[in-house]
Amino acid sequence: MIDPEQDDNRKRRRQGVFSIIGLTIAVMLGTLAVFTGSVAAQDPAATSAQVVAPVAAPVLKIDTGDTAWVLTSTALVLAMTMPGLALFYGGLVRSKNVLSTIMQSVVILCLVSLLWILVGYSLAFGPDKGGLIGGLEWMGLSGVGSEPHPVYGPTIPHQVFMLFQLMFAAITPALITGAVAERMKFSALLLFAALWSLVIYTPVAHWIWGGGWLGKMGALDFAGGAVVHISSGVSALVCAIILGKRKGHGADYMAPHNLPFTLLGTGLLWFGWFGFNAGSALGANGLAGSTFLATHAAAATAALVWMGVEWAHRGKPTVLGLASGAVAGLATVTPASGYIGPFSAIVIGVFAGILCYFAVVWKGRMGYDDSLDVVGIHGVGGVFGILATGLLASKAINAAGADGLLFGNAGQLGIQAIMVVAVALFSVVGTWVILKVVDAAVGLRVSPEDESTGLDLSQHNERAYS
Amino acid sequence: MIRRLCTIKQSLLLLTGLAVLLWAAGGWAQEASPSSATAPVVQEAAPPVVPAPPKIDTGDTAWVLISTALVLAMTAPGLALFYGGLVRSKNALGTIMQSFIILCLISLQWVLWGYSLAFGPDKGHLIGGLEWLGLNGVGLEPNADYAATIPHQAFMIFQMMFAVITPALITGAFAERIKFSSFLVFTLLWATFIYDPLAHWVWAVGGWVRNLGALDFAGGTVVHISSGVSALACAIVLRKRLGYGKEHMVPHNLPMTVLGASLLWFGWFGFNAGSAVSSGALATSAFVATNTATAAAALAWMVVEWMYRGKPTVLGAASGAVAGLVAITPASGFVGPMASIMIGLGAGVMCYLAVLWKSKLGYDDALDVVGIHGVGGVWGALATGLFASKAINAAGADGLFYGNPAQLGIQAVAVLVSVVFAFVGTFVILKLVDGLMGLRVSEEDERKGLDLSQHDERAYS
Repeated sequence: MIDPEQDDNRKRRRQGVFSIIGLTIAVMLGTLAVFTGSVAAQDPAATSAQVVAPVAAPVLKIDTGDTAWVLTSTALVLAMTMPGLALFYGGLVRSKNVLSTIMQSVVILCLVSLLWILVGYSLAFGPDKGGLIGGLEWMGLSGVGSEPHPVYGPTIPHQVFMLFQLMFAAITPALITGAVAERMKFSALLLFAALWSLVIYTPVAHWIWGGGWLGKMGALDFAGGAVVHISSGVSALVCAIILGKRKGHGADYMAPHNLPFTLLGTGLLWFGWFGFNAGSALGANGLAGSTFLATHAAAATAALVWMGVEWAHRGKPTVLGLASGAVAGLATVTPASGYIGPFSAIVIGVFAGILCYFAVVWKGRMGYDDSLDVVGIHGVGGVFGILATGLLASKAINAAGADGLLFGNAGQLGIQAIMVVAVALFSVVGTWVILKVVDAAVGLRVSPEDESTGLDLSQHNERAYS
Repeated sequence: MIRRLCTIKQSLLLLTGLAVLLWAAGGWAQEASPSSATAPVVQEAAPPVVPAPPKIDTGDTAWVLISTALVLAMTAPGLALFYGGLVRSKNALGTIMQSFIILCLISLQWVLWGYSLAFGPDKGHLIGGLEWLGLNGVGLEPNADYAATIPHQAFMIFQMMFAVITPALITGAFAERIKFSSFLVFTLLWATFIYDPLAHWVWAVGGWVRNLGALDFAGGTVVHISSGVSALACAIVLRKRLGYGKEHMVPHNLPMTVLGASLLWFGWFGFNAGSAVSSGALATSAFVATNTATAAAALAWMVVEWMYRGKPTVLGAASGAVAGLVAITPASGFVGPMASIMIGLGAGVMCYLAVLWKSKLGYDDALDVVGIHGVGGVWGALATGLFASKAINAAGADGLFYGNPAQLGIQAVAVLVSVVFAFVGTFVILKLVDGLMGLRVSEEDERKGLDLSQHDERAYS
């Protein structure tokens, strides 16, 4: 009775491992090919650039202050994923799943870091191909050196920009793990994260930031409302629906096993978010200062509002509510942070607190099991943030941006709406396909038995607390 | 009765929400107007009139922004976990919540009126004017009075983090027994009526204590004496916890406290070295002084405890480190490394004894805010009058040991002023809040723990 099942499991596991190894090898071979190609092609490219450079543009000079700030911001965003998000999610699950939940954030950080260096950065930010995707010219960081890039941070080394963007690519799939917590098979998660990062994240980042069609249209997303939060929030919804509910959802007691952990994670997320948003100014200047302020004001407001609404609605202000409100405020203000002043940020914070609170409350009625509320916070917050950017953006704050509806430019709101629809649709379809592929290859869920035992023991053979 | 209270609470919440929205709308209108109407005019007028606009330095701005994030990490999660680990598990969330909610509350208070009261144009050397209300006029151009090479908003938000952590420090004194709603009202009043004026006196251009020549580099009087002394008033007015002295009240999670202490140490580099508001020699010397004094104080506390009690405790080392950080704060930008060792050693010994003697005095300062921040802050402010040297910071003054005994007198005046003002002010505010809504939770709620009674949650499941 058990043997064939185990055998089947083993077979599927082996298949999973093979497919992962296969993927890695394919990526490595591709890189190698491009690497040798690029070495051969480098000389003429370099000379032509040298000929053009002095004529066309002034030589770009690295600014030490700007570089220090972006490097620090990169480390801050790393701290958001690990240990920030890892502990935020880790505290919210039951104690039998805490290690696996932490593990998911950490392993995604490692996996996406490598993929980004090998191909991801080139696909997202490499030379534009038809507005849809970056070319493979920068594979293996070929041509991405320490000279500044004229568009991606003219005063910092190109590799610093690449590394800063790497942290964004790493945290985005890690956000999704909140929706699959406590039930996804580890091998399936690895495969999913690798595919998702390449198939969903890099094109979306290209469309908006890498010179793609949405960016050309004038869509504004300062630090990743659409690229990071809508994409992860919407994909989380698809994951929650396809994976199905956790065993005992709605019947068993599933309270967070360690809320102080979650609060530690919240504090680190908030801390790191200054790098995420203010670092996106790519310089230590007035824009970084005003982004910093907008980020903080929105987070504080949203936390207070969530708490107030909950106090009025449920009778007690909860600590989890405060933490969720802060993250909702941070997620919502992200796309707008570099285009708005402190009072617009307060307005965004107020709505983020209210909208995300009700999204999380109504989740119960919709019947899907988004375990750690990725949809309610990142999805809803991301969509509102992108639209709010279309309302509240002001050229008085950032001349490189645009005016929003309330500053006399109704068209911006339309562009923002197109971005929401495009990114959401693409994420839904893409995530659905990837999940089906992964399910066929290795199976998505752990066995019911393993789920009852907990993922720590069944997937990693460890206990968090002894 | 209870239901009526509930509706009162709800309508209060609603009113506050409305007020914030109105405020925001008002300020937002200010934001809106320059872009649509005045901006082009300004652009046309500006170039010929202004001769040499202050220039933003990217290195300085980077350092101050980083420091701001570091000081945020001191409050949440640093202080939240430091205090959270020290209480019993039934109050862990309630204690963490206090630091977090202060971060939110005071951030808004500071943007709306706090910064203007503390640093706005001086009125009679006592308080800042209302000209900068809602950050009106606090833009991205540097303000040469406070920091000539960074955006004014960067200085403002750096100072915001100081305004946030100060009331959060006090929460250690009334841990495990204050009612959440009263705590919110107390914090808002305390920040407005104690912190903002005191910060103005000591740091703002025109403040009378600053005019005396008192030195306080990063907040020995403004942050530590004010919070430490107010903590004493809180411990006295709120009285002891139920079962204090009889029941077992050991820290429920010391690793959490050590994690918090480490984050405090980490963040304190922003607090002290960031107070140079530039990235250069002064920031470096403050950084060195901060780390040196902290190490000395942690070791001193540990050794004294080892001799006195027989064992070196982890809690002792963590408390010693925080005591050293507190004591070096006002001196950090004015003293060299040898002086900082002296300050650290003094802090370790004095704060240890202060914490030890607390029990003889009979008040229940639950998490030793008075012994560490009060005593450490006073020692640091006085030690600045002893060890300060113009050789380290030409903009400072020489202390007693460098031939200027008057500086010690000035420091003593600053200490006295902040002690009296903070104690009396806090006492009045507490009595007011007590009369209005009651300070303590009911006996039953206290037994149950604040987590369940105030927030309907458990820390661990």
